[in-house]
This record gives sequence, C-alpha cells and structure tokens, in this order.
Amino acid sequence: MSESTSTNTPKPSSSVKLVLLGEAAVGKSSLVLRFVNNDFQENKEPTIGAAFLTQKCSLPTRTIKFEIWDTAGQERFASLAPMYYRNAQAALVVYDVTKPSSLTKAKHWVAELQRQASPGIVIALVGNKLDLTNDGSEASGEPQVDGDREPPATADEDDATGEHQEDHDATPGDARKVSTREAHSYAEEEGLLFFETSAKTGVNVVDVFTAIANAIPESSLKNGRGAGAGTGQTTLGGGRPAEDSRVNLGDRSTATAKEGCAC
Amino acid sequence: MEPLADTPWDVTIAGTGLAQSLLALALSRSGKKVLHVDQNSYYGGSEAAFSLQEAQEWASKVNEEPEHFPFEDARVYLPEGAPQLPTRSYTVTLSPHLIYSRSQLLPTLVASRVYRQLEFQAVGSWWIHKPQPGSVGDDGTSSSPVLYRVPSSREDVFADDIISVKSKRTLMRFLRHISKPQQNDDSEPEEENLAIPLSEYLTSKFQVPAELHNPLLSLSLSQASPEQTSAGYSVPRIKRHLASIGVFGPGFGSLLAKWGGGSELSQVGCRALAVGGGVYMLNAGVNSITRLDKSEDGGNERVQLHLSNDETIKTEFVVGSNWDLPGQEYPACDKVARSITVVSSSLESLFPVTAEGGPIPAGAVVVFPGSTLGQPNDMPPVYLLVHSSETGECPPGQSVIYGSVSASGAQGQSLIENSVHRLLQLDADPNVKVLWSLRYTQLGLSSSGVAPSKLEPTSSNILCFPPPSLDLAFDDAMIDQVRDAWQLIVGDEAHKHEFMSFEDREGANDED
Repeated sequence: MSESTSTNTPKPSSSVKLVLLGEAAVGKSSLVLRFVNNDFQENKEPTIGAAFLTQKCSLPTRTIKFEIWDTAGQERFASLAPMYYRNAQAALVVYDVTKPSSLTKAKHWVAELQRQASPGIVIALVGNKLDLTNDGSEASGEPQVDGDREPPATADEDDATGEHQEDHDATPGDARKVSTREAHSYAEEEGLLFFETSAKTGVNVVDVFTAIANAIPESSLKNGRGAGAGTGQTTLGGGRPAEDSRVNLGDRSTATAKEGCAC
Repeated sequence: MEPLADTPWDVTIAGTGLAQSLLALALSRSGKKVLHVDQNSYYGGSEAAFSLQEAQEWASKVNEEPEHFPFEDARVYLPEGAPQLPTRSYTVTLSPHLIYSRSQLLPTLVASRVYRQLEFQAVGSWWIHKPQPGSVGDDGTSSSPVLYRVPSSREDVFADDIISVKSKRTLMRFLRHISKPQQNDDSEPEEENLAIPLSEYLTSKFQVPAELHNPLLSLSLSQASPEQTSAGYSVPRIKRHLASIGVFGPGFGSLLAKWGGGSELSQVGCRALAVGGGVYMLNAGVNSITRLDKSEDGGNERVQLHLSNDETIKTEFVVGSNWDLPGQEYPACDKVARSITVVSSSLESLFPVTAEGGPIPAGAVVVFPGSTLGQPNDMPPVYLLVHSSETGECPPGQSVIYGSVSASGAQGQSLIENSVHRLLQLDADPNVKVLWSLRYTQLGLSSSGVAPSKLEPTSSNILCFPPPSLDLAFDDAMIDQVRDAWQLIVGDEAHKHEFMSFEDREGANDED
C-alpha cells in the first residue's frame, strides 16, 4: 500500500484491530498473506494457534493501520477466539464458496460476535476460493492494490450477479456450492459487509480491507487508537496533537539514556 | 490431531492471571509444549476485566465458590432508578493498577515485542482531599472540603500557590535530598533512620510541616496513615514517583493499559503463546495432581493432572496460583475493601494536561486521608483511581472510579462510598450520579512487607505463584517470580535464551 503523503501535514493515522474467523482451510491466512505481502502459497500449512500481522491501508482522508489477528480455524477448544475478538473493531468471517458447511460455521461466528464482541464491531462476511468457480476463472487475476478506490459492489448492488451465478451452479468445472444470492441475503439481513474473493488470484482481497477501513466509524477511531501515533516523532518533537492520550513506549530509548542519574 | 492425553506436555499453566500470562509470554518461543488452562470462561484470573453483565456473573461465582478466588463478598449495587446500561459498552477491570514508567514491566513488554499490541495512557494528577486552604482551624471541620493537586515535581512546587514560602523551602530540601544520585548502593547509609514513621522522618529531618505529610504519603501510594508508614517503605516509593516523571513524556510518571489494565496485559501474553503454538483451554481447571513415578515412563519426573472437563494429561511442570492448583495450602493473606463505580460524569477537572506538550491523562489518583473522612488520624487513606472514558472502559461522558482502602468488610466499603460521594459533590455537574457499582474484598499480600514475595516451588515440578500483591502500582516482584518460574522450566537452556527478549515475528513489522 503506497504512502502517498508528501504534504507537510500527514494524514491522521489510526490503528484498527481486526480478527479473522472461520472454519479450518477456508483460506483465512491466505487472504491475509495476499493483503499483506501480495503473495499466495499453494499448499499452506495450517495456522498453529494464531498469527499477528500488520498492514496499512491508505484512504483519502486518513491512513488505517490494520493489526490483524489470524486465528487457527482448527483450534480445538474454542478458547482462543474470545481473546482475539475482545476489543476488536473489525472482524472478517470467512467461508469457502465450495463448501456449504463452512458458511454454517461462519454464521455461528457471526452470531457469537454479535453476542459477545464490542457493540460497534464491523463484520465482513467473505466467501473465498472464487477461483474455483466459473466466475472466478473469468475474473482477472490482477490483484487490486489501490486503496483509494471506491469499495466495489457489496451486497446492495449485485443482484444481477446473483442470478447469473445460479445459472452456473450446475456447470461442470464449477465447484461452487454456496450461491452468491444465499450468502448475500444472509449478509444483508445481519448488516454485514459482503464479498467473494480469491486469495489465489487476488480478486477483491484489498477491496475487503478497504471497505472495512471505510466502514469503521470515525468516532471509534478517535476514541479508539490515537491519531498521530505511529510516526514516533510526535512524542519526541513536542508537537503531539492535543487530543491524543496515547503514550509511546518507544520513547523509552530517550529515557534509558538518563537512567541511573535520576534514581 | 494428537489427543491431549497422549501429548507429553512440558508445561501446564493453570490460570490466566497476569503472572501466569507473563510466563506464557516468556515461554512463547521456548519450543516447549505448553498447555494453558483456566477454570474460568474468561481470561485474566484475578486481573480480569468484564462487561457489566460479566461482572455480575463473576460476583455470583465468587460468593458460590470462594475456594477458587482470592476475592470475597462481591456484590453489584444498582442505585434506585438507575437506567439500564448497555453492558458491553463497559470494560471494568479487577486490576486498574498504575504502572510506573520505571517499572521493569515496560522494558519487558518492549523486549518481548508485544508492546505494540498494547496502548498505554498517562496517569496525570494526584489529588488530595483536604480542608479549604486558608481556613484557620487546624481540622478545618467547618470549611468546605476541596481537592488539592499534590505537587509531584520541583516545577510543581515552584508553581504551587497554596504552600507557604517557608514550607516550600522545607519541601524542596526533602525533594533535593531524595533525588540526590546515590554514589554507591553499599556505602549509602548516612546513618539515616528509616524505621521511623514517615511523619516523624519528615518533621525531624526536614521540618516539613504536618499539612504536607499526607500529600507526600500519597505519592508513595501507601495504604496506611503517615504515622503507620515507615520512612523505609515510603521514601523509596516517593523517590520512584519523582524519578518516573518525564520518562515517556512531560508531566506524568505512570501509565495505565487501555481497555482494562492488567487484563489486557494478560491477554497479550496468552496471545503470544498461542502464536507460538501453545494450546488454550478455558473452562478447564485442574481438579487433582498426581505424582507419577519416574520409572513409569522413564525420562523426567512427571505429574498427572485431572482436569475439570474430564481430560487427564501428563506434564512435567505445572504452574499456577493457590487458587488454580488443588492441594496447595492457602497462604495467609491480607484483605482490603475495593469497589468499582461507574458515574454519570466525565469528571473532567481531574484530568488536566499536566505539562506543556504532554498527553491528556486518562487516569487520576484521588486520596482521602482517614482524618478527612471523620476518622482518627491513624486510619488508612482511601485511594480512588479514576479512569476517564479514554481508557475504553466506559462510554464518553462517564468515568469509572476504582476505590481501595486497607480496611476490610463493611467499614472499608463505607469509607470508599463516602469518598466517592464527596468526590461527586465536588463535580461541576450537580446531577452527577452513581450508575453502577461493584463492591468486593480482595485477598493478597500487602505491599508494606519489606522483602518482596518470591516464587516458592512446592516441589521440583509444581510451581505456585505467591498471592497477588495488593499494591496499587504494578509490583515488579511479579517479574522476578515469572523469571524464576521460567528459569526452572527451561533449566539448562536458560543461558541460550534471554528472558523475554525476542525478535519481531514475520509480518508484525514496525510502524515506520
């Protein structure tokens, strides 16, 4: 993601905690890998426990830094997720468009988030492995990396695509088992963002994150994670924005130099 | 996937309190096979944070199963006519501790690379409740009480317009004395008698007038009166307070972790171990520990654990607290009254920016000396740690008050309630109300003991952390206890790794 700040006043930057949930092997880690490194691994090892990654997403008026918690889908005791979605501002619930049971599991996660997570959490439902369907093979494999774009068709706009896909459900070579329409109408009912993606080709991957970034309410960003944090200079130069309450531990380096004489 | 019972666990950690979770962090790159269990359905143990609904459930559980909690007599109070609150908009914490800038905890979080997942905020002002200045009566019983900002640096003392010039001079002498660099730790004792009470020390050595004793004491966070607190305990702590100011920015010396204090730190530790391959199970306590003969499966000595979810596992080490491990003798604990109160005001006047260019504080300390509550002079003070909505613990326009007094039971609770009531009377908003409160007794070790508590292994492979410290600031002794446990577990390999010193994991790149 490009850092497009050449002006004297950098765009405000905010951190957003995002958690990935979904059944094992639906491609959660691959989505993150595509988003963070623009890369894909064919036979990726299952995630053990969890992983933590960060990636910035540049919007016209601000920069969002995603702190991404990728949980293991095969986690056995359902004991990790509560720790990950606690205080999360966004959740990406992933299913596999070729596996109906994974949508059931996704619905279960959505219900749990709605019951337990922060009230304002932004949830995106993502059907992955679009490349295994006929629409996927037609779609261009060129991943979109422009964060400034408008988010593409989400639930409201692609009824037509839904019809179109149903026609293809039985086509040989098309592994799709979950129709766009079914997932779409569920997402609409629950008020979720909705996308179908391919981590393999990159289709829609960046768009998911951009749409989430756009959907995070401004108020939760201001209250949430302080503006100006992350540049490091704000705390050193004394030009810290007045509305910031965040303390940067990285400044310890300046402190350690003084240590020993002050105590 | 290998069943739990067949896995030869190296370590089983019981409980996800802060000490256990820091141990989880320490072991997250050790290559050890770690199973981390908790009898509760939530993370954080004695340092957990809750929505209001969860807090209510916690209170019931504390009263039903006292043997599992270092807490007693927990009860939620809903004022009459209080509105229904959106329970998940709150995160009230059992550990609202201050973390001093020079605490060993902070370099540990930095070296272990987890600090970027945390957000720290400043605790700005210390306020002390005292009679209206300028009033003639020594007790000031007739004048209306006010909050007075405790000067916590020399600059503050200069700027203060309430302390008389003469008193300022004595205060400066004291501050200069304690901020003097120490030549050498061993050759230090310039025949100072630190066994005497703080009040006597301040009077005899520096002629600091009595009216400044309570303010100075409050900087030490001592939970006893100036007459009952030794100079040996309080002077180093006042020193710590002064030396901490400015370390991470101008005007403040202590921090709090956003989103629930110690609870947030615990979860960061557990996440780190989960990323490192540790296996997590909530709702699984240790029901019994059986020692296995060495010969039984060769190799290292092991114990067998029967868990409350009916799993039976074998492990080389088991680590927990007295409340997580069965068959441990319950240690003698002190008891303090504590409470959590949500109020309908932002109490904004408590959080001024304390120095130019400093952050807006999210925390403040308000102290009510026993004497100002109509108690005898030697009664312990009440401490109110006030958190603004910036901490993420409550919605904007409200704040959370964490009360603590070193007196247990109904007496302690009424002292705290009285203090909260007085604090609210001083607020600009005449309609400010208590919206919700939770009162409880906490068990632990009072920090006035001279020697810090240590990890005492009850046997070579059953390690039990001491009871939680009742200190209002994070007690660095915990880091030493965790290090001791880590050292026993990694054994000979300890020299190959540095305690809590890790590289960034791939993908978790720095914010550049």
